[in-house]
Amino acid sequence: MNLGQHLIIAPILVPLVTGALLLLIDERRRLQKAMIGVASTIILFAVAVALFRFADSIDGPEAARQGVYLLGNWAAPFGIVLVVDRLSALMLVLTATLALPSLIFALARWHTAGAHFHSLFQFLLMGLNGAFLTGDLFNLFVFFEVLLAASYGLLLHGSGLLRVKAGLHYIAINLAAALLFLIGVSMIYGVTGTLNMADLAVRVASVEPQKRMLLEAGAGILGVAFLIKAGMWPLNFWLPPAYTAAAAPVAGIFAILTKVGIYVVLRLSLLVFGEGTSSSSGFGLQVLLIGGMATITFGAIGVLASQALGRLAGFSVLVSSGTLLMAIGLGSGAITTGALFYLASSTLTISAFFMLIELVERGQDAGASMLAVTMEVYGDADEDEPEEGGEGVALPGTMAVLGICFAACGILLAGLPPLSGFVAKFAMLSAMLEPAGSGSAALVPAVMWVVVFLIILSGLSALIAMTRSGIRTFWASLEGTKPRVLVIEVAPVLLLLLATLLLTVQAGPAMRYMDATARALSAPHQYIDAVTNARQVGPASAEVQQ
Amino acid sequence: MPERLLFFLLVLPFAGSIATALLLRTASRSLPAWLAGSVALIATITTALYYPSVTAGKVVRQEISWLPELGLNFTLRMDGFAWLFSMLVTGIGFLVVVYARYYMSAEDPIPRFFSFLLAFMGAMLGVVLSGNLIVLSIFWELTSIFSFLLIGYWYHNANARDGARMALTITGTGGFCLLVGVILLGHIVGSYDLDAVLAAGDVVRAHPLYVPTLILILIGALTKSAQFPFHFWLPNAMAAPTPVSAYLHSATMVKAGVFLLARLWPTLSGTFEWFWLLGLAGITSLVLGAYFAIFQRDLKGLLAYSTISHLGLIATLLSLGSPLAAVAAIFHMVNHATFKASLFMAAGIIDHETGTRDMQKLSGLYRFMPHTATLAMVACAAMAGVPLLNGFLSKEMFFAEAVETHADSILDRALPYIATIYGAFSVAYSIRFIHTVFFGPPPTDIPNPHPHEPPRWMRFPVESLVFACLIVGIVPSMSIGPFLSTAVLSVLGTETPHYSLAVWHGITLPLMMSVVAMVGGTILYSLLQKYLAHCEDGPPIFRHLRGQRIFERILVTVSWKWARWVEANLGTRRLQPQLRLVAGFSFAAAAIPLYLSGFEPKLAPLAQVDPAFAMIWIIGMLSAVSAALLAKYHRVAALVLLGGSGVVTCITFAWLSAPDLAITQLVVEIVTTVLLLLGLRWLPKRVGKIDESTMLSARLRRLRDFGLAVACGAGMSILAYAVMMQPVPDTIANYFLDNAYTQGGGKNVVNVILVDFRGFDTMGEITVLGIVALTVFALLRRFRPASESIGTTEQQQIQNAFDDAQPDRKPGDTVRDYLLVPSVVMQWMFPVIITFAIYLFLRGHDLPGGGFAGGITMAIAFLLQYLGGGTRWAEDRLRILPLRWIALGLLIAVATGVGSWFVGYPFLSSHSQYVALPFIGKVPAASALLFDLGVFSLVVGATVLILIAIAHQSIRTYRIRTEPKPEDT
Amino acid sequence: MELVLSLGIGIMTGSGVWLILRPRTYQVIIGLSLLSYAVNLFIFGVGGLKVNGPAILADGTEAAALSDPVPQALVLTAIVIGFATTALFLVVLLAARGLTGTDHVDGREQSQ
Repeated sequence: MNLGQHLIIAPILVPLVTGALLLLIDERRRLQKAMIGVASTIILFAVAVALFRFADSIDGPEAARQGVYLLGNWAAPFGIVLVVDRLSALMLVLTATLALPSLIFALARWHTAGAHFHSLFQFLLMGLNGAFLTGDLFNLFVFFEVLLAASYGLLLHGSGLLRVKAGLHYIAINLAAALLFLIGVSMIYGVTGTLNMADLAVRVASVEPQKRMLLEAGAGILGVAFLIKAGMWPLNFWLPPAYTAAAAPVAGIFAILTKVGIYVVLRLSLLVFGEGTSSSSGFGLQVLLIGGMATITFGAIGVLASQALGRLAGFSVLVSSGTLLMAIGLGSGAITTGALFYLASSTLTISAFFMLIELVERGQDAGASMLAVTMEVYGDADEDEPEEGGEGVALPGTMAVLGICFAACGILLAGLPPLSGFVAKFAMLSAMLEPAGSGSAALVPAVMWVVVFLIILSGLSALIAMTRSGIRTFWASLEGTKPRVLVIEVAPVLLLLLATLLLTVQAGPAMRYMDATARALSAPHQYIDAVTNARQVGPASAEVQQ
Repeated sequence: MPERLLFFLLVLPFAGSIATALLLRTASRSLPAWLAGSVALIATITTALYYPSVTAGKVVRQEISWLPELGLNFTLRMDGFAWLFSMLVTGIGFLVVVYARYYMSAEDPIPRFFSFLLAFMGAMLGVVLSGNLIVLSIFWELTSIFSFLLIGYWYHNANARDGARMALTITGTGGFCLLVGVILLGHIVGSYDLDAVLAAGDVVRAHPLYVPTLILILIGALTKSAQFPFHFWLPNAMAAPTPVSAYLHSATMVKAGVFLLARLWPTLSGTFEWFWLLGLAGITSLVLGAYFAIFQRDLKGLLAYSTISHLGLIATLLSLGSPLAAVAAIFHMVNHATFKASLFMAAGIIDHETGTRDMQKLSGLYRFMPHTATLAMVACAAMAGVPLLNGFLSKEMFFAEAVETHADSILDRALPYIATIYGAFSVAYSIRFIHTVFFGPPPTDIPNPHPHEPPRWMRFPVESLVFACLIVGIVPSMSIGPFLSTAVLSVLGTETPHYSLAVWHGITLPLMMSVVAMVGGTILYSLLQKYLAHCEDGPPIFRHLRGQRIFERILVTVSWKWARWVEANLGTRRLQPQLRLVAGFSFAAAAIPLYLSGFEPKLAPLAQVDPAFAMIWIIGMLSAVSAALLAKYHRVAALVLLGGSGVVTCITFAWLSAPDLAITQLVVEIVTTVLLLLGLRWLPKRVGKIDESTMLSARLRRLRDFGLAVACGAGMSILAYAVMMQPVPDTIANYFLDNAYTQGGGKNVVNVILVDFRGFDTMGEITVLGIVALTVFALLRRFRPASESIGTTEQQQIQNAFDDAQPDRKPGDTVRDYLLVPSVVMQWMFPVIITFAIYLFLRGHDLPGGGFAGGITMAIAFLLQYLGGGTRWAEDRLRILPLRWIALGLLIAVATGVGSWFVGYPFLSSHSQYVALPFIGKVPAASALLFDLGVFSLVVGATVLILIAIAHQSIRTYRIRTEPKPEDT
Repeated sequence: MELVLSLGIGIMTGSGVWLILRPRTYQVIIGLSLLSYAVNLFIFGVGGLKVNGPAILADGTEAAALSDPVPQALVLTAIVIGFATTALFLVVLLAARGLTGTDHVDGREQSQ
């Protein structure tokens, strides 16, 4: 077994080891810690890209098996397996793409705002990657807890009234969700006697009705846990306050957290309750569809109603989740393709937007007040308050650059051309309006009209809200207070926006990848085959001498 | 001309725009203008050179593959019609640049202006040249965005901001509709390619989705062309710099709408819906626009409304669905562009020279600027449709078409009269423009009282445009003729009718109508003259219901008032409702599937219930319930009771032959309790009951929560019972039981699972513990207690609290008696516990125990020292560096896992053998043991870190905290 | 056995749910602890109950005699994570109490 095959586990081990090592370094040696953190994140990005290329090259069952990693060399379903397929690889790359800018952004000032920022950040990455890679239901729970624990830490990073209050709610609700997760998993185990997702998919087919209802009950409870994470209305009220309260770079990486919930829903609903797998195929799709509609509506309204940019961004997270849930709920491959593209695009956008907001509002009251609260509460000489401005090169032509970034974010959120937001919206709409493929005389079902209407509406609300706040910020703002913005603070935002631009220009290949992903998801036999037939190394017994 | 140059032609303006933007810091006024001007000129010339390749219905295409899967390719396509429009866009663009060079003042950030202008030119060219409907809608939205930036150019002025926002909101919305519309169209045709769409007219018109498609596309076009009922954004867009109005609001942007309608004319036109929808909008705008125009005080306002009316004319012509009408429409697009652009420029000059555009202030300017005045008059005459000017020709065509009967209906029959009335109105406002501004006494109160002719080159654009009006007006067939026919041919193809551009057709009905209109208009103006001299802005009746005010109000109400209300009422920022929802949803999520598949729990005979077990559980339940009741006012009691149910849980595990769980539960129990006790000290005193129960609402809330709690509880029991009673499936557990010893090398299956089969879980689990410890530490570094809980020391607090709890103690609580053991004993116990911890750890692989239990026990040993001796005492004697322990724990665990790489096995593959240690005997030295060591170390580190962090709070000195600010946003 | 245990689980859950719906942070944390007991027992119960079976594989005990080890392993993990999160929540509620000056879950006393 050569090192190349161990690459699959690297996204989990690299941040773990880094996080642990960082603990051994004294808090005061910030630069050193920062450098190590950045280095590890860069490595992570490289690994993610490598895995992405591998996943993209998967063409048959043999290649698919290469993407399965048997931990402890125990054959599935007994041991825990890690699986790299197109979907997980996509999520890995997305995570890494968000991680690097967020971390760089934090180096300007935020990483000094509290203890152990870098360790927590690395552990968050570990949790995310683990959740995307694992093929085991309970292991998924563990990694959920890892990333949640880290997210608690990061949300509270910098402390302060707002963060602690938001954190209390966030933690309480996620603890409840964790309990639900446990109940769900254990019920599924009790009924099917397995924890491995692929094995589960196999066994579900043969569950007798008396047990099936219990299985579905378990799945339902599990679903609630995931939908809380995914931010489905009405289980999402904790989200905007939490994301708004979080420090900008933290919010930047949090943009992927809701997508974890989406990912799991997408993965499990298609794997376990996919087309024709069993009598309970298509379980819960209705809920996703309706929930998604409610979510996108609530999100759009919230976007219109929010005065502070932070809340606007928080609600656009909900819009994004709602759109995705709706798309999944429609349960059509073509729509899923568009939805995956949208997932990538919107995640990048929101992450960029969260960081941009901090820069834009720095000059103004709204942004300052958050810090002010922190200052005020910890008035007495706290050595690790983020020093204003921070060291580094200040940016020339600040307002112009920020303005362009803001416009780009607005265009992306509203799904206006020419950026990836438009491509995503177009892909979804065209799939929705062409139920029976292009050119057919098929009519569009009523529900599709509602969905289309809601998507357009959400775009419109984003347009109105963004122009309103943009005008307020850049055109009608009182003269004077020009924020002092460092290059390493704008660079991350530009980086992310560049990524969306790349996504636009390379729309063709990107869409092909998403299409392959969607098809693999809707026909999971390859995944199942890969996991169940993954080969152990050597005779497993050879290693034990009595 | 080579095809690939099309792309160049499109890119050129954008490139120019970026180049101009980079001059941001330049001081020179003319450099950006030169750059922009030359770009525009090159574009014009390039376009002109394409003429030979588009004549006689030839088409130039260039296709760049972009998103072929979805039929979205970057297709550029130039035919006669596109060519004509490209000429307008680039040519007038060039003139506008020249004009703007002199119009803009030195204070304005010139580079930004020209950069936006060029970008807009590019977007407009894109609309005209795109050969793919989606690409078209892309550039369509781009024009909206850049027009937003151009209208808002002078953003320090509030009108500019509002005008810009309204324009974007309306045209942007239209764009969204258009997108859906063209997607539908593409879905009907089976391709977004323009050629395919143009070829599929019959299919489209017959398709059931035709009407929705049509409506959506019409919304797009009408919003863009400022047609009724979306017209009101245009007058507000007049806050833009005049060059922008001259370009966007006469020649290009507003023309995009009618351009699209003409473009899709072969596909969509000729149906009943088409005639009525488009016709109504067109005719209404035609008349209302002209009528409103009469009563404007602002010159640009007049021109704006006249634009609405002229576009209405074009729309009406297109709605008729006859080829001749289409010809007239295309012809009028060109004519209107020329005279209206020149008029806007003239208005700009007047504004520039006098400092006002208010027609009640302006008068007698002829004597100051005869040259400009003459030009303006000619252009106005063209607008009014005076013979020998281009406006006349297309208007005559319109009248001719109005007389013809197309789709027989009231609307169609009324059309001639409406047309005549419109003619009269247009004559009236044209006369008003000329008369009030240029004739009469010299102006009295204008900002700069000494107006004079503008610079030579500022007049040049106006001159050239007016010249065009004249040439086309006098010798149409020799000037515009060939180009027009090329354009018409490319739109109508085989349907192209015979038409003549002659000025004189003899005494015809249309001519009569024109005469009537002329006379009528003149009379109308002379009647209104007095009134117009002093009336307030806007037409008599409609003055008070202004479109944009209604729009604003709706926007504010919906997007602000309602939205905030809904957000406030459909959402919450309080925790309790949220948890309520979570509980409710999870209950439903479990209950609904069960209900749907007709679930009924079947009870087993109660015979085999062990009374002792039942006894224990009665205690457990009682303590749980009473904990629930006491948690508010008797915290310690509640804590003790919680412990009670914890112990019951623990006993249950032991009873049901799960010793590992029992041990772990017990040790965790201890630590948790201590933590909570440490925490209690910082909570506010709650003496005496705050009497909520009297309040009805509170009582109802309680009742609801109680119901929910009961429901969830019952649900859980039923689920648990059902799952337990159902036959155990063939689980993966059997594999573990069979292989734990042979392959895992351990007799304690649970432990083998933890460290070997599912060791990865354990690794994640300890990471969680570590993370939490870090978080706790980081948070408590910043801990500031509430002012009232600063003071008494921790021990006192605990002792008092404990004594309070004495009365309601239960037998089950005695486990917690270590609280009373004197500290001395605790110190003696230290080594004993340590030994026990190590013992637990070592035997873990074969007997109940293991790294976690060991670690916690170890931590308890330290904890006891803290409790016994007090924080300071303990720290004087013990140097623990918890962070080290945590880091090492994780690293050891990972290292163990990675170790197996070197023997060519995957992560965490175990290797086990037994070694004999003195006193302890044979212990399994599986690599798993090393892993467990990592667990042990981390658990010690994390637990101690948490405990220390909390314990430390009581020996810190705090300054009294000022009250925090209330939460904002 | 099963009946008693499931009743117990139910009661614990009920009390827990009731508590997490209360307005005081301390009530919430007690409630969460109760809930985690209930859930742990639930997971354990899923494996089926075996009274005084052997704890470990002694030589000659056939595997079937042991109670299902997997849920036990899960419970162990769950206990640890539960412990960690309880500790965290405790500290956060202390911090919140310190910053807001109240122990209400929303950081301010509700008027109603």
